[in-house]
Amino acid sequence: MQPSVSSDNIVVVKRMFLLERGNRFLETNAVIEARQLQKTYGQALAVKGIDFSVQRGECFGFLGPNGAGKTSTMKMIYGRTSISGGELYVLGFDAKRQMSQIKGRVGVVPQENNLDPELTVLENLILYGRYFGMIRQEAGERARARLDFLGLEDKAGALPHELSGGMKRRLIIARALLNDPEILILDEPTTGLDPRARHVVWQKLAELREAGSTLILTTHYMEEAARLCDRLVVMDHGQILARGEPTGLVEEVAGPYVLEINSSLLNGDHLVPDGLVRRRETVGGRTFLFNHDNGTLLDRFEGLKLRAGQYLARPTNLEDVFLILTGRSLEE
Amino acid sequence: MDVTLKGKAAPFSPPRGFFPRFDWRARRVWERDLVAWLKIYKTSLLLNFGEPFMNLVALGFGLGTYVASLENVSFAAYIAPGLLASTAMLGVSYDMAFSGFAKLHRDGVYDSILTGPVEVESIVGGEILWEISRSILYGSTFLTVIFLLGLIQSPLALLVSPLMVLPGIIFAAPALVVATLARVEDQLFYYFTLAITPMFMFSGIFFPVENLPPLARNLIWFTPLYHVVRLSRGLVLGRITPDLWTSLCWLLVVAVLQLPVLVYFMKRKLLS
Ligand SMILES: Nc1ncnc2c1ncn2[C@@H]1O[C@H](COP(=O)(O)OP(=O)(O)OP(=O)(O)O)[C@@H](O)[C@H]1O
Ligand SMILES: [Mg+2]
Repeated sequence: MQPSVSSDNIVVVKRMFLLERGNRFLETNAVIEARQLQKTYGQALAVKGIDFSVQRGECFGFLGPNGAGKTSTMKMIYGRTSISGGELYVLGFDAKRQMSQIKGRVGVVPQENNLDPELTVLENLILYGRYFGMIRQEAGERARARLDFLGLEDKAGALPHELSGGMKRRLIIARALLNDPEILILDEPTTGLDPRARHVVWQKLAELREAGSTLILTTHYMEEAARLCDRLVVMDHGQILARGEPTGLVEEVAGPYVLEINSSLLNGDHLVPDGLVRRRETVGGRTFLFNHDNGTLLDRFEGLKLRAGQYLARPTNLEDVFLILTGRSLEE
Repeated sequence: MDVTLKGKAAPFSPPRGFFPRFDWRARRVWERDLVAWLKIYKTSLLLNFGEPFMNLVALGFGLGTYVASLENVSFAAYIAPGLLASTAMLGVSYDMAFSGFAKLHRDGVYDSILTGPVEVESIVGGEILWEISRSILYGSTFLTVIFLLGLIQSPLALLVSPLMVLPGIIFAAPALVVATLARVEDQLFYYFTLAITPMFMFSGIFFPVENLPPLARNLIWFTPLYHVVRLSRGLVLGRITPDLWTSLCWLLVVAVLQLPVLVYFMKRKLLS
């Protein structure tokens, strides 16, 4: 095993790539390398030159509010939209020039469901497999196996509009797995699902990760990111604001605890004890006091006679990281 | 873990051209259309076929008894090959415009195909192949009917089936271009009202356009249905004249020229 290639020596990657044109780049564990990656729509800059690399076998997350540029980044990775600037290598192939080689090796769960409404569940999968050059029998076998894996075997003959939202999403995941992708790209895989359906999907994604798949995930649910992602980046306005492991990121940016309290109760800074609070944010009438010891902090507010609902003392999470970095909430 | 490409060539290189590709991926797109169509083929055939057939019966055998023969054949025999051409035009145009609109704007069918290893050129190739198939099917079915009605006068009529390749391309391409440009489905009707219906009325199906004023005649000469009708009638009635070659060449040139235009509009729509 060679040492992994970081985004710093992408030049080396390129040079080696030129030597081994067309061969997958096995010398490195990085399956995706992006450097100064940009996306513009007309005049608008949706992705403003971001760097990241994804290692083989990890789950890599993109968090960010609406319009942050997550989907645009995903689409560049799976070749659904052109790259406006920078470099992007996927599985050692140049995404600007060798998209066809990449497309056969990735699986995609797009943000919008796009099942074929005229075909049954099983046909949706079989005909998708056919685009990858599978013979009919092989496509059929794989399709049934994926339906089993996602618990949709009873629905093989149904039409997509007869499925629930959660089933549709699972079917899209089944379709994305049909070609045994080396990288699975999931753009908000569980948006719109009820908690039970979401857990089913999480379970399946965790199984895939265990089996060594590389997952790339965007989500608005910090619980999802915290559960699944080995590393993640937080994006806003087309830029990466922070990156790291979920727990490390929370620790680093938000500290251990937060006390949420209605801002109206705190009219006047004098009420907030300085030494205890390491950071203070106010969003929508709620003030977040990041601190090391909620208990001691609460004691200081005894005079306010806080009632339930007026405050919430809890450990920090990714949502807080996001709030601190952007001044916005994650699901905004 | 690799995808098995049984018997298939290595992953293709991506030439970024503007011509449709008729490769094996295009045939997969065609296959998708076939599977979807087989579920509704009865309705589909009935709808696309019923109208021209009733036109033939009502006009050919109803009105036809009052109309003196045209160009030395009965009115029914005169309009039958023209209506044959129109079934192909209508079937292909309606299907391509409406299903194309749904696939582009509503259901994301092309979107999902593009997440697999298929390029826009192959999608266009597949859709064109599919509309060619429809065109041949509708033309041949209608041919059988007019044969049973005794309106065929030459074995050359058998060549009408392969001829239907041309209207398949020529009417599919603009219909899909219109579908890429439309924002709501109703806008498609502009195309039918402004282009398809006038062609249906004035392309020499029901009366010889040679008697029209020169301006109208020249205008009509540039519309594709006119040439399809002439060729169809020439073959069915066994009257091959040299200017039919002109019509054939005209259609070939138009078919080939339309294809890059279609790929351009599809890429513009699908790859922003
Ligand atoms: N096809 C397009 N044409 C023009 N602008 C676009 C297009 N797609 C996205 N944008 C713009 O690019 C920016 C980033 O959009 P993107 O879809 O990447 O955001 P996102 O992070 O996925 O958001 P969400 O969480 O809402 O899915 C937005 O400002 C959006 O308006
Ligand atoms: Mg998005």
